[in-house]
Amino acid sequence: MDLFLQLLANGLINGSHYALLGLGFGLIFSTTRIVHFAYGPIVTFAAYTAWLISGSMGLPLIVGIAGAVLVAALLGTGSYLTLYRALERNGAPPLIPLIASLGLTIVLENLVGVLFGTGVRTLDVDSSVHFLGPVFFTSIHVWQVVSFVVIAVALGAFLRRTRYGRAILAMTDDPEMARVIGIDTLKVSIIVFALGSAISAVPAVMVLLKDGASTHMGFAAVFMGFVAVIVGGVGSLRGAIAGGYLVGLVESLGLWQIPTEWQGSISFVVLFLMIMLRPQGLFSMARK
Amino acid sequence: MRKLIAAAIAATAVAFGGSAAAQNAPKDPDKYRAGAILAMSGKADWYGKVMSRAIQLAVDEINEAGGIEGIPLEVIIEDHKSGIAKEGVSAMNRLINIYDVKAVLTSFSPPTLAIAPIADEKGILLLNGGGTSAALVGATNMMFHNRSLASDLGLAAVQRAKKEGLGDMAQLVWKNDAGDSVVAAAAPYWEKEGHKVVATEFVELGASNIDTQVAKIRASRPDWVGLWLFSPESGLGIRKLREFGVDVPLIGIEYTGDVKEIAGKYAEGYEYASDYFIPSDDYPWSKRFADAYEARFGEKAEFYAANYYENVYVLAEAIRRARAKGGDYWDGRKLAEAIRENPTFDSVYGGSMTYQDNGVAKKRVAIFKVENGEGKFVEYVTLN
Repeated sequence: MDLFLQLLANGLINGSHYALLGLGFGLIFSTTRIVHFAYGPIVTFAAYTAWLISGSMGLPLIVGIAGAVLVAALLGTGSYLTLYRALERNGAPPLIPLIASLGLTIVLENLVGVLFGTGVRTLDVDSSVHFLGPVFFTSIHVWQVVSFVVIAVALGAFLRRTRYGRAILAMTDDPEMARVIGIDTLKVSIIVFALGSAISAVPAVMVLLKDGASTHMGFAAVFMGFVAVIVGGVGSLRGAIAGGYLVGLVESLGLWQIPTEWQGSISFVVLFLMIMLRPQGLFSMARK
Repeated sequence: MRKLIAAAIAATAVAFGGSAAAQNAPKDPDKYRAGAILAMSGKADWYGKVMSRAIQLAVDEINEAGGIEGIPLEVIIEDHKSGIAKEGVSAMNRLINIYDVKAVLTSFSPPTLAIAPIADEKGILLLNGGGTSAALVGATNMMFHNRSLASDLGLAAVQRAKKEGLGDMAQLVWKNDAGDSVVAAAAPYWEKEGHKVVATEFVELGASNIDTQVAKIRASRPDWVGLWLFSPESGLGIRKLREFGVDVPLIGIEYTGDVKEIAGKYAEGYEYASDYFIPSDDYPWSKRFADAYEARFGEKAEFYAANYYENVYVLAEAIRRARAKGGDYWDGRKLAEAIRENPTFDSVYGGSMTYQDNGVAKKRVAIFKVENGEGKFVEYVTLN
C-alpha cells in the first residue's frame, strides 16, 4: 500500500509536468493546427538558457526562469514568422509544415549543442525533502505541481477574460469563421506561439532543477505534450490537462505490478487505446 | 647439353626466385584507410565526442611521425546515432563500399553485434573499445576488445559487495543488451552467495524520469543497490536514490564527467568498478597521451578516450606485423591473423596487454570510491 501511495504521488507530480507541456503544445496546435514538433528543442533551449543565466553566470534563479521564458517565447514566435507563416501564405498542404517542423527540430537541437555544448547541465538548488505519511517528495516536486496550477489558472483567466484570449478560443473553434468575423488570425497565431512556447520554459526549468538538462530532453517533452493533447482531445485545453494527468498516473501506477522495463511503452498504449476507442479524445465532444 | 641444362636450371631459379621475391614484396596501398562507427549524435553523443577525439589524436601523432612505415593512416568517422543497430549497418556498408576500409573501430553493443556478420563475410577487422555486452564475445573472430565487458564489471562490483559483507541487493539496470548481460552475471552470483535480489528495475537509455523505478527500489528495502547503468543514467540513478532517502551503499560500473555533473553531492561514497586509466610517470606513454589530450581538447582523458587511442595504435602495429609478411597484407583477415599470432601489444594504460583466445584483452578491473566528487582508487579486483 505504501508503494501504491508513493506511485500515486509520483503520478500526480508527473501528470502536472505532462499537463503543463500539453497546455503549451495544445495552445499552439489547437489554435493554428500546426504540429509544432520544434516545441521539443525549444524546451531544451529554455532549460540551457536558465542554466547559462543562473548556473554559469550565477544570477538568481528567478532571472534564469525569466530568461528561459523570454528565449522560448522568441524562438516560438520566430519559428512561426520565419517558417510556418511562409508555408501558410503559399497554401502548403498540412503535411509540409509537419515536415518543416521536423527539420526545424533537428536544426534547433544541433544549435543547442553548438551554443551550449553537448554535455549534461545541472543547477544546484536547495531541494528539501518532505514526508506525508509513507509518501516522499521534494520541494521541486511541489514547485512542479504549484507552477502547473498557477499557469493553468492564469491561462484560463486570460482566455476567458481578455479580448485576445477570446480571439484564441474563437480561432480554436473555427479558424475560418474567426477570420470572417474580423479576428486578426496572424496576430493570434503569433500570440499563441509566444505564449505556448513561454509556458514550455517552466517545465523545462523544472527538469533542469530535478534531473539535469540534456540536449535530447526535448523529444520526451514534445512527445508527452503531444500525447496529452491527443488523449485529452484536440482543441480542448481542459483535455490537455486531463490527458497529461491520465498519462502521468497510468505511467506510474501501471508499473505498480508490471516490470519497469515496460515504462516506455505505457504512454504509447494509452495513445493507441485512445485513438482506437475514442479518437476525439476525452474532452473534445464535451466542448461541442 | 650440360651447359644447356645448367642454363635452364639457372633461368628457372632466377624466374622462381624473382617470382617469390615479387610475391613477398608488400603490396602497399597509397593510404591505410580505416573506419570508426561511433555515437556521434543522439542521446549518448558524449561517447562519440570522446572516442573520435582520441582517434584523431592518435592518427595525427602517427602521421606526424611519418605514417605507418611511410604510409599515412586515415580514419573515417561514421555515426550509429547512439547505439542504433541499423545505423551501424548502414555506416559499415558505407565504409566498405565507398571508402574500401579494411578495419573498423566500433562502439556500443547493438551496432557492433549488427555489423559482426558483415565483418565476417567481408573480412573486416573490428576493434571494439566501448561495447560491453557479453554477447559480443564470439560474435565474430574478426573482433578484438580492449574494453572490459559489462558482465565483468558487474562481477567485480558484486565481489566488492561481498567483500564489504553486504546483504540483499536491488538492481537498477540499463534496458539494453549491456544491462541485461550484467544482470545475467551479477544476479546468479549474488544468489549463489546466499543473498536475495529483492528488486530489478529497468531504465531506458536517455530516460529523464526514473521516480517510479526508484520508488519500487525503496519499497524493496535492499541492503545495497547495484547500478548496472552507464553514463549519464548512472548519475540520475545515484541522485534519485539518494533524494528518495535510499541511504544504503550504491555500487555501480561507471563514473564519468556527466555522471559527476548529474549526481553532484549525492555521488559521495558511491563505489564503482571500472577500467582504469590514470597517467603515471612510470608509464611515459600514458602521461604523453593524457597531456596531449588535455592540451588539445581542454578535458582530462577518460578510459574511453584511452581505449580508442590505444586501438588506433593496435591497428598500426597489426599493419606493421602483417606488412612484414609481405604480399597482399592490407586485408582485414591478415590483420586479424597478425593479432592472433602475437596477441601482445603495448598498452597506453602501462606495460602491455594481451588479447585472450575470446578476443577480449586481459586487463585489471579497479574499484573506485567517490570522495569530494572524484573517484579514488580503492583496489584491483581479480575476477573469479
